[in-house]
Amino acid sequence: MTETTILALYGLLVLLTIMLQVLGSLQSLSMGYLLSSRDEPREVGRMTARMNRALDNSIVALALFAPAILLLVVLERTSATTLMVAQVFLLARIIYLPVYALGVPAIRTLAWLAGFAATAVLYLLAL
Amino acid sequence: MSAELTTLTLASVLQVFQFVVYATLANRELGPGFTMSPRDRPPSREMSTRTARLGRAYENHIEWLLLFAIAVGVTELSGQNSALTAICAWIYLAARILYVPAYALGWRPWRSVIWAVGFLATTMMLLAALV
Repeated sequence: MTETTILALYGLLVLLTIMLQVLGSLQSLSMGYLLSSRDEPREVGRMTARMNRALDNSIVALALFAPAILLLVVLERTSATTLMVAQVFLLARIIYLPVYALGVPAIRTLAWLAGFAATAVLYLLAL
Repeated sequence: MSAELTTLTLASVLQVFQFVVYATLANRELGPGFTMSPRDRPPSREMSTRTARLGRAYENHIEWLLLFAIAVGVTELSGQNSALTAICAWIYLAARILYVPAYALGWRPWRSVIWAVGFLATTMMLLAALV
């Protein structure tokens, strides 16, 4: 397993999140609305709103994580440490999703923080 | 340049194009008085339905361009370019080009179908890199 593999796995996790968000929104929005141009906004249920926020946050995390990995690989600065930190990031982001959906407060914040810190460390190691 | 990198470049050009079209129309409809302000209050004039649709199509492509760029980056860095990844890349580009008129003109259910094609092409590329 390399850092690039972790990045591919996280990309797939975000794709899975998008799929869950679409399937979940079927609970509060009709298929007809989802297929339409969605010109008028609609209220969504609590769980769907949580999935929307979790997805938005995952995308921001992805936009920050991807350049760090690409930098490490292109600059040939990968090491056992960077691999471990990337694994920590992935694990934290995997935990983040169900914890957000279930509304567990402190652990969600800790998982977010772990992912954030891991990304920051990767940038520092790339320098 | 590989097909994957060519399509990534073209997809980024598409994103710039989508932004320019959306920003031009939004500026004309909302007025520069609003768009140049810090936008603390909602605009006094509303955007047309079509411009709002172009805005949503643009925002959706931000998400997808990020995922597609990662799929291309992972493929290139691990040297796993293949006929499959090249075809996926072209399909992704074609889907995202069609997505814009599909949204603007309200093609139903084709907008969702086109979106799903882009989704599948990106997923296939990422999976291909792992296998």
